[in-house]
Amino acid sequence: MYHALLTRRYLTSKVMPLLASLAVVLCTAMVLITWSVMGGFLRMLTQSGRSLIGDVRIAWPNVGFAHYDDLITRLQSDPEIEAATPIIETFGMLTLLENRTDGVLIRGVDGPSFARVTNYAETLWWHPLEKPLSKDQEGLDVRLDTHNRDLLAEIYQDGLRLKETDPATGGLESSMVLGIEVGGWNVRTDWGGYYPRVQGIASAAGAIQNRNLFMPRSGALPLLVVPLDSKGRPMEPVTRTFPIANEFESGLYDIDKQTVLVDLPALQRMLHMNAAKRLADPGAQEPTAGFFEDEAAPAPVVEDPARVTAVLVRQKNPNGDPDRFREHCRGIYAEFAGAHPDVPSAISIQIETWEDANRMMIEAVKKETGLVLVIFTFISFTAVFLVFAIFWAMISEKTRDIGVLRALGASRAGVAWVWLRYGLAIGVVGSILGGLLAWGIVTNINEIHEGIHQSGQWLGDSLVGARLSSWFGWRRPWNWYIWDPKVYVFKEIPHRIEPWKAAFVLAGGLISCLVGALWPATRAARMHPVKALRFE
Amino acid sequence: MTGPWWPRCCSVRALRKTYRLGRVDVPVLHGVDLDVARGEWIAILGASGSGKSTMLHLIGGLDRPDKPRNGNPRAEIEFQGRNTVQFRAAELDRYRSTQVGFVFQFYHLLPELSVTENVLLGAMIRLGRLGYLRQRAPLRRRAREILDAFGLGDRLRHRPSQLSGGERQRVAIARALINDPAMLLADEPTGNLDRKTGGRILDVLAKVRSDGGQTMLMVTHDPEIAARADRIVHLIDGRIAEGPGDPA
Ligand SMILES: Nc1ncnc2c1ncn2[C@@H]1O[C@H](COP(=O)(O)OP(=O)(O)OP(=O)(O)O)[C@@H](O)[C@H]1O
Ligand SMILES: [Mg+2]
Repeated sequence: MYHALLTRRYLTSKVMPLLASLAVVLCTAMVLITWSVMGGFLRMLTQSGRSLIGDVRIAWPNVGFAHYDDLITRLQSDPEIEAATPIIETFGMLTLLENRTDGVLIRGVDGPSFARVTNYAETLWWHPLEKPLSKDQEGLDVRLDTHNRDLLAEIYQDGLRLKETDPATGGLESSMVLGIEVGGWNVRTDWGGYYPRVQGIASAAGAIQNRNLFMPRSGALPLLVVPLDSKGRPMEPVTRTFPIANEFESGLYDIDKQTVLVDLPALQRMLHMNAAKRLADPGAQEPTAGFFEDEAAPAPVVEDPARVTAVLVRQKNPNGDPDRFREHCRGIYAEFAGAHPDVPSAISIQIETWEDANRMMIEAVKKETGLVLVIFTFISFTAVFLVFAIFWAMISEKTRDIGVLRALGASRAGVAWVWLRYGLAIGVVGSILGGLLAWGIVTNINEIHEGIHQSGQWLGDSLVGARLSSWFGWRRPWNWYIWDPKVYVFKEIPHRIEPWKAAFVLAGGLISCLVGALWPATRAARMHPVKALRFE
Repeated sequence: MTGPWWPRCCSVRALRKTYRLGRVDVPVLHGVDLDVARGEWIAILGASGSGKSTMLHLIGGLDRPDKPRNGNPRAEIEFQGRNTVQFRAAELDRYRSTQVGFVFQFYHLLPELSVTENVLLGAMIRLGRLGYLRQRAPLRRRAREILDAFGLGDRLRHRPSQLSGGERQRVAIARALINDPAMLLADEPTGNLDRKTGGRILDVLAKVRSDGGQTMLMVTHDPEIAARADRIVHLIDGRIAEGPGDPA
């Protein structure tokens, strides 16, 4: 009982130990924030794979492979597999407004099956919205506008199938879906949404004409690709102008900035990867024995089947082990390859999970997370030493009181427990406050980040900032973006604290305090009561 | 005044204590023998440094006497038929908690605790958490009664720093009494107070003894104060010499 009483009184009457508590607050918050953000980043990185390419990608880049329909049928008849979709991945040039061109990553997709393997449907940005996004408190999102509902619903459907109705003919026309950051026509808002830019264009006559850059409405852009022949040799570039059906937001900055999706059959035709009758390559023929026949025989016409560069596969069990699933797919591919002599063998085909494809980056982030955590945990030992030093000093100060407690009959263990309990109290207070601080910061980290950025801008724009810049020759000191989406792939900083991490770190803070208090407490317990009482 | 017909509270035999200062042995007590009757008030006089406090600490179980060496007899502190010198640490803690009440010259109140909490501290230690919580109300009442009797009824919530020396010493005596010990060990309880205040403290102690029948060992320098005790002993050259006057 006296332990509790003394702990309570010491907690409320002593300032120094509260400083120790503050150190614990800062250390736990620091470790927890780092772990949550970096760990969250890692998780986003590994999870985004599933939403972008499904679980496994079977790929033969550039040239592609044929009979993919048969492969997909085989895959989809497997009980473990949810869906599979053919895809072409290639590069090209997109001609933006005013004839600016940008290199882009092109994915030819079959909308409906692509949406079954990936979360394509959710990434389509333009669709009617019932409820505003959580941060959009004023309801500024243009997608909320009821007048646009029908139009947006139509745009959404167009995006899903990557086709648009041609106003001239009334038929369906292959179209394109752009990453939302492509071209920079959409302005990202601070509540996490977009609105289309309005551009003023000066005409030759000197008038300014406002142009609404809402691409899905009327935009059509030329896309240039370089087809390869079946040997991988480049052919004449092909350009085709596609109307823009919709725009997508995957959350990965690089992808949203560089990727365009195109209706698969149209891209196949552009790349000469569609099924076609072609003259066989004479070099590929066995030389015939005859001497006359060689001149007389017409070049044979062969049926060249359609090709894609990859098939994406999604497994039924969302938590299934990706590596095991990859090997499972390899088995199915081996059977498929056995049935078709003209496809790459099961040994040389690329079968990868998202993590395989991004192993370098994922491993780097893992290592970095580990390293930073180790460093910060090390720094957190300062809290242990602080508690230790403060307790050591306090026990010297309280020597006489310890003697009094012993004179009143307290045992050695009882005296030790007073200090351990006190350490525990400091640890509990410190780590709970630290946890709350971390929670507050992590859940609002994007706003805080934006705030830091804006105050940097403000300072830079202010007179003082301008002076400082010119004095010291700083060029861009006021661009306080710590989390630059161009560097960190994701546009948002992860902002979730996992309970087990919090529990782990808080327990760590608590144990640090106990460890720091342990030795001083032992010293207090070992004090000779008479010497303690005689202490001046 | 003492005799075999009086019930004994404790008896001390061959009590030796030697301190070590570096390599040098500093013998302080050379074999103290003392019989204390139950309810007796003994004043212990002696020069500064003669070992009075040391003796009190040994009797109160705060320290242990020398192990028998060089043919010296084994020290013995017999209390209610048991030799406290043989007690294990836990028994000694228990002994201090239940049988002994210490009063010190410099009060030694805990500055963070209120008057009442200081008084109740001994009971908290004796009863443990659950025991104390179960008996909290009667204990609080008892603490209040004692403090009331000592004229401190209106100072219950005050901190020691808000009290005068005499008041602090009265709180210390109340603290020593909360567990109803058999024995009060007071080390110069008036040593830090003026004569008048000291006299009042002695009144308090005298009343405690007459009400509760506590045995009291009181160390003092002052023969006048010693005169209020039942018996005066002198500690000279590490041994007890009986007698009322100045033996020199
Ligand atoms: N821890 C120790 N180490 C060495 N010597 C000690 C120690 N404690 C006490 N002494 C010595 O023992 C002797 C007796 O000390 P003690 O405090 O018992 O005397 P005292 O009679 O109570 O004196 P006073 O009247 O001044 O209080 C002193 O000479 C003191 O120096
Ligand atoms: Mg003394």
